[in-house]
Amino acid sequence: MIVARIQPPAEMVHWWFATGFLVLGLLLLAEAVVGEEVWARRPWRRYLWPGFVFAMGILMFPVMTFFTSSTIHMVAHGTWAQVMLFAGGAELAVARGKLHSPRWRLCSAAALAVSGVAFLVHEQNDWLFSRAAFLHHVLGWTVLVCAVFPLVQAFRPRSTAAALGFAATFLVVAVLLYCDRDTAPIFGHLSYEAGVPHR
Amino acid sequence: MRARLRGVLALAALAALAAPASALAHATLVRESPSLRERLERSPGRVVLAFDQSVDAVRDSIVVLDGRGRNVAGPARAVKAERALVASLPRTLPAGAYTIRWRALSSDGHVASGVSTFGVRHAAPPVTDAVGAQGPTRAEDVVRWLYFVALALSVGGIGFRLLVVRGPLPPRAERRFYWLTGIGAVGALEVGILAFLLRAEDALQLPLVDFLYGDLSSLANGTRFGEAFIAMTLGYALVIALLYLAWLTERRVLLWGAFAVGLAFASGLSLSGHSAADAGRSWLSELADWAHLAAATLWVGGLVQLLAVVWPAAPALRREAFLGFSRLATVLVALLVAAGTYLSVRRFPHVHDLWRTGYGHVLLVKLALVALALAWGAAHRFLAAPRLAREGGATTLGARLGRSLLGESALAMAVLLLAAVLVDSKPPPRPAPQPPAAAQPPGR
Repeated sequence: MIVARIQPPAEMVHWWFATGFLVLGLLLLAEAVVGEEVWARRPWRRYLWPGFVFAMGILMFPVMTFFTSSTIHMVAHGTWAQVMLFAGGAELAVARGKLHSPRWRLCSAAALAVSGVAFLVHEQNDWLFSRAAFLHHVLGWTVLVCAVFPLVQAFRPRSTAAALGFAATFLVVAVLLYCDRDTAPIFGHLSYEAGVPHR
Repeated sequence: MRARLRGVLALAALAALAAPASALAHATLVRESPSLRERLERSPGRVVLAFDQSVDAVRDSIVVLDGRGRNVAGPARAVKAERALVASLPRTLPAGAYTIRWRALSSDGHVASGVSTFGVRHAAPPVTDAVGAQGPTRAEDVVRWLYFVALALSVGGIGFRLLVVRGPLPPRAERRFYWLTGIGAVGALEVGILAFLLRAEDALQLPLVDFLYGDLSSLANGTRFGEAFIAMTLGYALVIALLYLAWLTERRVLLWGAFAVGLAFASGLSLSGHSAADAGRSWLSELADWAHLAAATLWVGGLVQLLAVVWPAAPALRREAFLGFSRLATVLVALLVAAGTYLSVRRFPHVHDLWRTGYGHVLLVKLALVALALAWGAAHRFLAAPRLAREGGATTLGARLGRSLLGESALAMAVLLLAAVLVDSKPPPRPAPQPPAAAQPPGR
C-alpha cells in the first residue's frame, strides 16, 4: 500500500536511468579520447565508471521490486540489476588491482549480451508494431551487437576503436531510454495529427 | 533503389518514434473498485478496473468468485473513454469474501491478468488466500529451505568471521570465506525472487504464457509476504554490495554493516510468517521468531564456516575457532531453545495438537532432530573442546573432528528443511473465544 503511494511514474525512472547511462557513456568517452594513461593520473578516476555501473545495478533493484505490474518486466529488471552489479563489480576489482587479467572485461561483454537478450525476449511484437516495440528491438539489438566492443577489449585492451564503441553504446542506450513513453518530451508527440495519445 | 529503401526504413523508424504508442509497459492497472482487500457493508454494484491505456475485454475478462467458487459477476465490457473494464454485480451479495480475477487485452496484443479480493461485511483475505489458490507446495518448501541455507551461509558466515575468528585469515581461507558468504547473499536474493514468483503463480492461477504478463502488484503491495519480499530483496542487495566492498577495500567495518543489515532484514521472514499473521500474534511473538531465526542462522552458518573454511584452509586456527564457536554456540542454543519453546506454546492451543495435527507431527520430528543436534553439539563442547584445547587442531583429533562437524552440519541442514515445511504449514487453529456467560439472576 505504501509502495503504491511513493512510486514515481515509470517514465521518470526510465529517464533517471537514461541520465545514468549518459554520464556513464561520457565518462567512457572521455577515457577513450584522452587515453588510459592520462585518465589514470588521478587514481580516483579509475573507479568512476565501474563504480557508476555498480551503483546503477544496486539502484535497479528498487525498480524491480516496486514495478511489479507484470512478471516479465520484473524478471527483466532483475536481470539488468544483476548484470550491472556483476559487470561493475568485476571492473571495480580490476581498477582496484584485486583482479589482474584484462579478460575480466568479458564480464562486461556477457552483461551486455544478457541485457540485450532480456530486451528482445521481453518484447514479442514486431519492430513497427508500436514505438515501445521499436524501442525494445533497437535497444536489444544495440546492446547485443555492442557486446562485441568489450569482447575485443578483453583481448586487445588498447584498442581505441573498441573503447569508443563501448562508450558510444551507452550514449545510444541513453538516447533510446529518453525516448521511452509517449509522454516523453524528447521524440514525444510531434503533432496532434499523429493520433490520440493513449495516456 | 537501395537508397530509397533506406530512406523508407528511416522514415518508418522516425514515425514509430513519433507516433503516440502505448507505454513501454503493457496495460497496467491504475485503479480498481472495489479496491484491493476493501471491506464493504453492501454490494458495490459493479467492478471497475481502470488502466493506464485503453484495453479490450476478452472472454471472462472479469470474474468475481464467492467462497464456493461461483461467478457472481455479469459479462465485462470495455469503456474506452475511461480506459476501463466494467462488470456488474448483483445488488445484494451475501456476506463473505470475494475474489476478482481479471484479464484485459492490451493495445500491444498481450493479455494482462491479475487478482484482487474484497469482502462484504467480512474481512477480505490477502490474494494468497484467494479462491483457487492452493497454498504452498513441496517446491515452495524446498525453496524456503534454500532460503534458510542462503541466510545461514551469508549472515551466519559473516557473524562467524566477526565474532569468532576476528584476526587475519590465510589468503586461501579468506577467499573461501568470501566465496561462501557471497554465494549465500546472492542465493538469498535469487531464491527470494523465485519464492515470490512461485507464490504469485499460485495466487494468479495462470498458465505460463499468461503468467508472464500477470500483474503481481496485488501480491507485492497487498500482502505481508509481498512487502517482506520487497524489503528483503532490497536489504540483501545491500548486503551483497557491502560484502563485495569489504572484499574490495579490505575494510572490516563494511562486514559489520553487511552483518547488521543481513540480520535486520532477516526479520522480514518473521514479520510475514505465522508469528505476525496468525491469531494471537504480538510484537513479542514476532521478536521471538526473529531471535529463533537469527540464532539458527548463526549456528548453522558458523558450523559451515568451521567445516569449509577453517578446517581445510586454516589448520593453525582450528583450536581457536572451535573453542570460540563452542562458547558462542552455547549462547545461541539457549536463545534458540527459549524462543522455540515460547513460539510452540503460542502456536499450540492444546498439548494433544502435537500428535493430532500434521503441523504437530512435523514439529515433533524437528524437535527430535534438534535434540540430536544439541547432543552432538554438547559432545563437541564438553568432550572434544577440552581435548582440542590440550592437544591442538593439527592432530588425529582434528581430522576426526572435521568429519564430526560434517555430520553436525548435515543434521542442521535437515533441521532447516523441517523448519521450512513448518513455516509453509498452517498451525492448529486456536479455539474460538467463548461468548460471555449470561448474567446470572441475583440470588441464584
